[in-house]
Amino acid sequence: MPQGTYLRLLVFFLGPALVLYSVFSIYPLLATILNSLYSHQKDGSFLWNGLGNFHTLLFDPTWSEPFWNALKNNFVFFLIHMLVQNPVGLMLAALLSLPRLRFRATYRTLIFMPTMLSVVVIGFAWQLILSPLWGIAKMFLQTFGLGFLFAPWLGEESSALITVSLISVWQFVGIPMILIYTALLAIPDELIDAATVDGLNQFQAFFWVKLPLIWPTIGLVSVLTFVNNFNAFDLIYAMKGALAGPNFATDIMGTLFYRTFFGNQLQLGDPSMGSTIATMMFLIILIGIMVYLFLVQRRIQRYSF
Amino acid sequence: MAEVRIEKLRKSFGAVEVLKDIDLTVEDGAFVVLVGPSGCGKSTLLRSIAGLEPVSDGIITIGGRKVNDLAPAQREIAMVFQSYALYPHMDVAANMGFGLRFAGTPKAEIAARVAEAARILQLEPLLKRRPRELSGGQRQRVAIGRAIVRKPQVFLFDEPLSNLDAALRINTRVEIAKLHKLLAATIVYVTHDQVEAMTLADKIVVMNQGRVEQQGKPLELYYRPANLFVAGFIGSPAMNFLPGKVTPGGVDLGADGALALPLPAGAVPGSAVTLGVRPEHMRIAGTADGLRIDATVELVERLGEMGYVHLRLPSGAVAIAEIRGDVGLGTGDRTSVALDPAHLHLFGADGHRIA
Ligand SMILES: Nc1ncnc2c1ncn2[C@@H]1O[C@H](COP(=O)(O)OP(=O)(O)OP(=O)(O)O)[C@@H](O)[C@H]1O
Ligand SMILES: [Mg+2]
Repeated sequence: MPQGTYLRLLVFFLGPALVLYSVFSIYPLLATILNSLYSHQKDGSFLWNGLGNFHTLLFDPTWSEPFWNALKNNFVFFLIHMLVQNPVGLMLAALLSLPRLRFRATYRTLIFMPTMLSVVVIGFAWQLILSPLWGIAKMFLQTFGLGFLFAPWLGEESSALITVSLISVWQFVGIPMILIYTALLAIPDELIDAATVDGLNQFQAFFWVKLPLIWPTIGLVSVLTFVNNFNAFDLIYAMKGALAGPNFATDIMGTLFYRTFFGNQLQLGDPSMGSTIATMMFLIILIGIMVYLFLVQRRIQRYSF
Repeated sequence: MAEVRIEKLRKSFGAVEVLKDIDLTVEDGAFVVLVGPSGCGKSTLLRSIAGLEPVSDGIITIGGRKVNDLAPAQREIAMVFQSYALYPHMDVAANMGFGLRFAGTPKAEIAARVAEAARILQLEPLLKRRPRELSGGQRQRVAIGRAIVRKPQVFLFDEPLSNLDAALRINTRVEIAKLHKLLAATIVYVTHDQVEAMTLADKIVVMNQGRVEQQGKPLELYYRPANLFVAGFIGSPAMNFLPGKVTPGGVDLGADGALALPLPAGAVPGSAVTLGVRPEHMRIAGTADGLRIDATVELVERLGEMGYVHLRLPSGAVAIAEIRGDVGLGTGDRTSVALDPAHLHLFGADGHRIA
């Protein structure tokens, strides 16, 4: 092929994607990083500040306290997803792939449904359910004589974050379930027959044959969870507002960024510090992904059947 | 090793009856081959013996023990699957020893048995490889090795060679025959391949639509097929069938002429019959043989020393005759064929052989 034609083809096929990707992903990312290196003045102008914003964010108590708080909360948020959402998703997928299960499609749809609902709807619905005044959760527990267990979970500092996390888990558990279920379906039946002839029961066949074969999918699900959790914002905002109460107990990186960048109530918006937080979020996710790629991914074998 | 006995076995998937009243005995140490058209229930029968499919009715015994309610692992069987079904995440040694590990066999014994099987199957240099690092033939041997280490009473094979290329298939076929002798194993083997069936089997079981059409020694099925289905299924190219009527002195084939032949006792004059004759018993007539039919050559296939002539008979029926050497025939030539009176088969209107 003549070089001219080759170049033209290259531009033709790669161009559109490259342009879109540049305009909507690379440019905003670079602009954010650049923004984080300036400081926003009261008169609206920007002054070069080097890494000063990062220093402020990490070491000035008025900034560092909310930052570390949000980061810690974000890790708790992530851990709850890893420890509840993904194992439960795995379990549901395993149950769904049982050969003699009836109403399979119904379960699959019902469990996946919340994922497709708007976060605002989910947040509102759960707020109603858990409300100490008119929520049905209290009455539900009372019916079983367990009324003493009820607490205003969303309102207490000690439980608000866990509660919001579990609501998010409830909403998104369908995603790991579907991904893992698909991976399980790809495992040939004869392999499980062979395991059965080798003397394994259903559980053993799952742990010794299926599970090792779906590690790549579980790895993928973990990465998706990590990225989604560290970019999370909407559910907290919908349920607890930008202040992520009570007393910032549910504040995560997303809400902290929102308050800082756009301002909230008495707090003025600060594009520079906002960008600094956004850049930190980017770096945290980057580090997380690199740890996965270099430490975990390499040890996972992929199989084709 | 043990005898497998199957009595009145039935198996339905929902409303569809896939196995209908199967009676079958696999003698201790015998090599039994199940053949039949696709979908006739061979795999289902094999999986029922293995315990992978619950049966609807009937009794299966292995070594005199009723196994209907036993799990596959307790039936002392081993199965080799068509796709090999090796565990992709384990190396060859682990694949072979996996079942023993779950049976609680001591490590040293597992190692010894795996080494023994690897020696028999020449897998020793491959023990540390993963299945995907093996060729098709090697995977096949690992699958057989996995069966051997379990020292089962019965080996079950489901089309084990169908994923191999022609040359390897012949090799592996010979290997399996040797293995059968070496282990004195009881084997039930499913195949599509006639040659495999004829060469390996002590007994062939021909199945059709969930029933056993005939079982017997390979040559018995070849020379005395019990019905039209078996006659047409065993042998390649298939047997030629000529419809006719029994006359007092032979068979009247209508437009193809009347043949004078000694009739078996069951042939009632005047009744409709089908005369079956294999291509190898239908030769281009050189001299004035007894049983002749005129024919027009449609096509000549030469496979080297031997070949086949596709013939159009006066009745319009098509027949295939075997030729040896160069008979100098071409498309359109008129000739006549001679039938070997010792190898003619008569089937009644119900399709059964008239003995
Ligand atoms: N799990 C199942 N559910 C319903 N029908 C089934 C199931 N398994 C097999 N069948 C049906 O049972 C019949 C026999 O299937 P089987 O697999 O035993 O055929 P086979 O003789 O092994 O065919 P092939 O030579 O193509 O492997 C087929 O008609 C098939 O459609
Ligand atoms: Mg089959």
